[in-house]
Amino acid sequence: MAPEPPLLTMSGITKSFPGVRALDGVDLDVQAGEVHCLLGQNGAGKSTLIKVLAGAHQPDGGTIGWRGEPVTLRSPIAAMRLGIATIYQELDLVEGLSVAENVHLGHEPTAAGFVVRGKAAKASTAQLLRRLGHPEIDPARLVGELSAAQQQIVSMARALSHDVRLIVMDEPSAALDPDEVDNLFRIVGDLTADGVAVVYISHRLEEIRRIGDRVTVLKDGRAVAGGLPAKSTPTREVVALMTGRNVEYVFPERPTRGPSSEPVLRVQGLARAGEFEPLDLELRPGEIVGLAGLVGSGRSEILETIYGARKPTAGQVSVDGRTLRTGSVRAAVRAGLGLAPEERKAQALLMLESVTRNVSVSSMSRFSRGGWIDRGAERGAARAATRELSLRPDNPSVPIRTLSGGNQQKAVLARWLLRGCRVLLLDEPTRGVDVGARAELYAVIRRLADEGLAVLLVSSEVPEVLGLADRVLVLREGRVVHTAPARELDEHRVLDLVMEGSPAS
Amino acid sequence: MTQPVSPPRGSTDKVPPMSELPAWRTLAARADVRTLSLLGVLVALIVIGGITKPDEFLDTRNLQLVLTQASVIGVVTVGMTFVITSGGIDLSVGAIVALSSVWATTVATQEYGFAGILFTAVLVGVGCGLVNGLLIAYGGMVPFIATLAMLASARGLALQITDGKTQIVTIDGILKLGERDSYILGIPPLVLVFAVVTIIGWLILNRTTFGRRTVAVGGNAEAARLAGIDVRRQRLYLYLLSGLCCGIAAFLLIILSGSGQNTNGNLYELDAIAAAIIGGTLLSGGRGTITGSVLGVLIFTTITNIFALNNLQSDVQQIAKGAIIVAAVLVQRRTAAHST
Amino acid sequence: MPESTSSTSFTSRRGLLFGTAAASAGALLVGCTSNDTKDEKPAADSRPAADDKPGKHVTIGFAGPQADHGWLNAINDNAKSRAKKYSDVTLEITEGSNDTAAQIGQIETLINKKVDVLVVLPADGKALTQVGLKAMRAGIPVVNLDRIFNTPQAYRCWIGGDNYGMGLSAGHYIGEKLKDKQDAKVIELAGLDNLELTKQRTQGFDAALKNYPNIKKVARQAADFTVESGQAKMAQLLQAQPKFDALWNHDDDQGVGALRAIKQAGREDFLMVGGAGALSAFQAIQADNSVLKATVLYPPTMAASAIDLARALGQGKAIGGLAEFEIPVSLTLYSAVVDKDNVGQYMATGFR
Repeated sequence: MAPEPPLLTMSGITKSFPGVRALDGVDLDVQAGEVHCLLGQNGAGKSTLIKVLAGAHQPDGGTIGWRGEPVTLRSPIAAMRLGIATIYQELDLVEGLSVAENVHLGHEPTAAGFVVRGKAAKASTAQLLRRLGHPEIDPARLVGELSAAQQQIVSMARALSHDVRLIVMDEPSAALDPDEVDNLFRIVGDLTADGVAVVYISHRLEEIRRIGDRVTVLKDGRAVAGGLPAKSTPTREVVALMTGRNVEYVFPERPTRGPSSEPVLRVQGLARAGEFEPLDLELRPGEIVGLAGLVGSGRSEILETIYGARKPTAGQVSVDGRTLRTGSVRAAVRAGLGLAPEERKAQALLMLESVTRNVSVSSMSRFSRGGWIDRGAERGAARAATRELSLRPDNPSVPIRTLSGGNQQKAVLARWLLRGCRVLLLDEPTRGVDVGARAELYAVIRRLADEGLAVLLVSSEVPEVLGLADRVLVLREGRVVHTAPARELDEHRVLDLVMEGSPAS
Repeated sequence: MTQPVSPPRGSTDKVPPMSELPAWRTLAARADVRTLSLLGVLVALIVIGGITKPDEFLDTRNLQLVLTQASVIGVVTVGMTFVITSGGIDLSVGAIVALSSVWATTVATQEYGFAGILFTAVLVGVGCGLVNGLLIAYGGMVPFIATLAMLASARGLALQITDGKTQIVTIDGILKLGERDSYILGIPPLVLVFAVVTIIGWLILNRTTFGRRTVAVGGNAEAARLAGIDVRRQRLYLYLLSGLCCGIAAFLLIILSGSGQNTNGNLYELDAIAAAIIGGTLLSGGRGTITGSVLGVLIFTTITNIFALNNLQSDVQQIAKGAIIVAAVLVQRRTAAHST
Repeated sequence: MPESTSSTSFTSRRGLLFGTAAASAGALLVGCTSNDTKDEKPAADSRPAADDKPGKHVTIGFAGPQADHGWLNAINDNAKSRAKKYSDVTLEITEGSNDTAAQIGQIETLINKKVDVLVVLPADGKALTQVGLKAMRAGIPVVNLDRIFNTPQAYRCWIGGDNYGMGLSAGHYIGEKLKDKQDAKVIELAGLDNLELTKQRTQGFDAALKNYPNIKKVARQAADFTVESGQAKMAQLLQAQPKFDALWNHDDDQGVGALRAIKQAGREDFLMVGGAGALSAFQAIQADNSVLKATVLYPPTMAASAIDLARALGQGKAIGGLAEFEIPVSLTLYSAVVDKDNVGQYMATGFR
């Protein structure tokens, strides 16, 4: 045990929502100056736990201790006063305000009690940004004009603008490129050196190994292991704790025989000026083709242009030899294309609706006659499609917002399965999906391909592309720099291609 | 997977009970708590009316009166509910009602008799809705601005047609429809139209692909587009629908007032929006309830009725109306909070 | 909407010259010989002007509110056709506006054009006082029509209706009709309650009813001058009062709706008196087949009289029939009651 009392102790925390027991007696203790990692599948209770810690949710039971004293976190402000700051995964910045205004929102430096001292705010913001290694961000700029990574820095600056003792970071690396992640880790190191504690949530085990001190694993609302040493606990053990199974990144077997039939999707000279250069691509039934590249290499743009959501400046897309009208999603969907977009919540899901309606939205005509929906048939079909993908819970009437990220993704796949789509375009299909559920998604995707679907996969995680795809196109700055069967590539080679644009043989 | 999944035949959908909630709670959650709390407000109003004016309030004629007075704005609100559910807004409803009622009652139109008036009222409403829809769906205009422009132009055109004069309807067939002789089993024809529009509106919103698309567009327009829904065409249809409702409402108003006047439909847009929002339709779109909207309209009309029967003056009426809107929304929020 | 002060007294009314009753009595005489009266033309232009001999040419600027309902529309028509009668008058008429700022701009334009006389019916009398003062200081006499400015310095002459008097006339008429009835009940369908004039009409009505101890006003609801609101409020009033003897409705426009509600409720057991003087009301009174038996005038012919006054001011003339050399500062019109007996002579002044 540590010699001094822990900075934070939570014990026996419970919290229920109607029909769900989100936290079922969770214990957590955090020492000053440590990086305490929180691991768990989506739906394990991580989000609820950090909301309790941030004062946003009131626990039904259990106690919270702060520097040895029992406390009640009645509101986010109360938590902030104690020195607990939270950086949420979905950034909560006001886009129409400047960086400095956002950083000081709610506690602006004032003269005479109400006159905002803009200069002082800017100066202290600039100082915080320097400390965070981003002196290039101008405190006077509007937050809406910044990149996602820069916004995250602003969010962090906001947390640090308080006298903070504990920072909760909810998947801070999800939207960052590798060198930005390095910078993030440097900041975390600086903070802990100053005695600040960090509660770090991530799906990426390798990150936890790099910066974590101890790990607490949550499963089904309970802490199944607390305070494991982050660097020495074997991965196998951590995964086993999270999933209750002994699996890690498991990719399904590739079929032994290659796809032989005619291509179902043919992309010829497709280009969008300023985004990506003319691209040729053929996709056969049963084939999974991966697009590998960094953020900004044009991956998502290519998918969306093939899908008709963006209008190409040149080239064409044809399905079964029939050329699609460019720039028309409806034409693409009719021809049998389906997209699982990168931003699930913003681009794919109807968050107020049930799973059934999210699944059936693209094939309503199948359950309707003259516009009249046969709801029994709709429910049945949605249930069949979600069962096919082992979506949990096995009740498509529940609101989709109650599902974990992996199951929401399955609902999107079920949508296209139900539609009978022939070409599936997957943009970062495992973003925000935990390790255990990933393996399951991979298996689903491979099975769909085996059943005759053609899949075009975009992912920023190179192992994912290499493990899942049959053939890989490596993209760099909007241009395909290399095409090869996945078997002939390894992670190093792809990264070299991605960075350098040529194979460093 | 080249074949679409076929639904298993005869599959039933048994929802597991919602944990250990008491039975009435589960029932309440299913029947939509908001609707129930609105019904509660309405019942409370009826009790107040019954206590203060037992003879005049609790009377068949009064029921007929309240429902008749609710009919015109009620039909408009049904259309408005669709538009708001889709994440839009239609500020031009009052002006369209005015223009339709005025165009349908010009001397020239009246020469074509009953059918001419009905046809013109509906056609003008649909025409205005078409312009709104084209501007919003294909012209890329924000609904607020496009319909605000329509509000101004339609009112202006209505004034130009009437030249500020009241156009009296002289066609007996129209006038008779508002009188007691035309009541069918004690139900005024206006109320029947209102009921039919409500039922059709409910069915469209809850049981058809059109309704689903409306909700999808309002809930997440980008997701709807990427799911293959023609979002623009849907928006066009929605404003057309709102215009159609305005046309029907204008015809009802002609029957009721026996005239067309450019001041008709004054502030209908606010009343309709208020009724829809109180009813539980999300102003940001993605969720809409026809039942709630109609209850909202009935609550407003009943309040007005109780006040008039008690001879309260307009100043008191306005103050109390504001207070009751706040109370209704608070009651709803509390009930909803307790049940989720 | 007409809006005069309630300070008008009986004495000032006695002194007036263009009382509609007197003027339209003349209309009857001349109207028979005049050939150019068309159907829609307001009757005022067939009447003799103050001084019909052509004189010095006068340019009259006219600014009124937006004519979005019957009475205001009649005001514009009366002014226009009256001016057309005079070969020595040019009428500069602005597009009507309910927006105070817009109306101020229009009047300033007229001042800059150096019109000889201004006739102003303000959208809001108080808010337009300054521009009235400005015109007067620029040496342009202002004839203030109906809605009165804040200060007499802002006009040379005010002519307008008498809202309090309108209520009095209605009250007296109903009082006389019901004076032999025990426990008579009266209800009132008022106009837009936001306007001062509505309050004045109600005050006058109540004051007159005080003279009849057997009559009690049992209910009052305010509509807003529109047909739609008239129907809605009247329907409620009828439900609230299963039995009453008389109804005063402030405005004949909303009266169209009120009459519909009465017909729809199948009621005919009371006497109804209207207000303002719409053609449809006159026709109903003449036909004598509905509850509407009389209406109290708020004559739009005042606009024609305002043109006469403006012309006289521009030519430096007095007006006939009065010993004074100068034109009076204030003319309050009489609110006559029109019923079956005299409706014939008013028919032509009715507005649509």
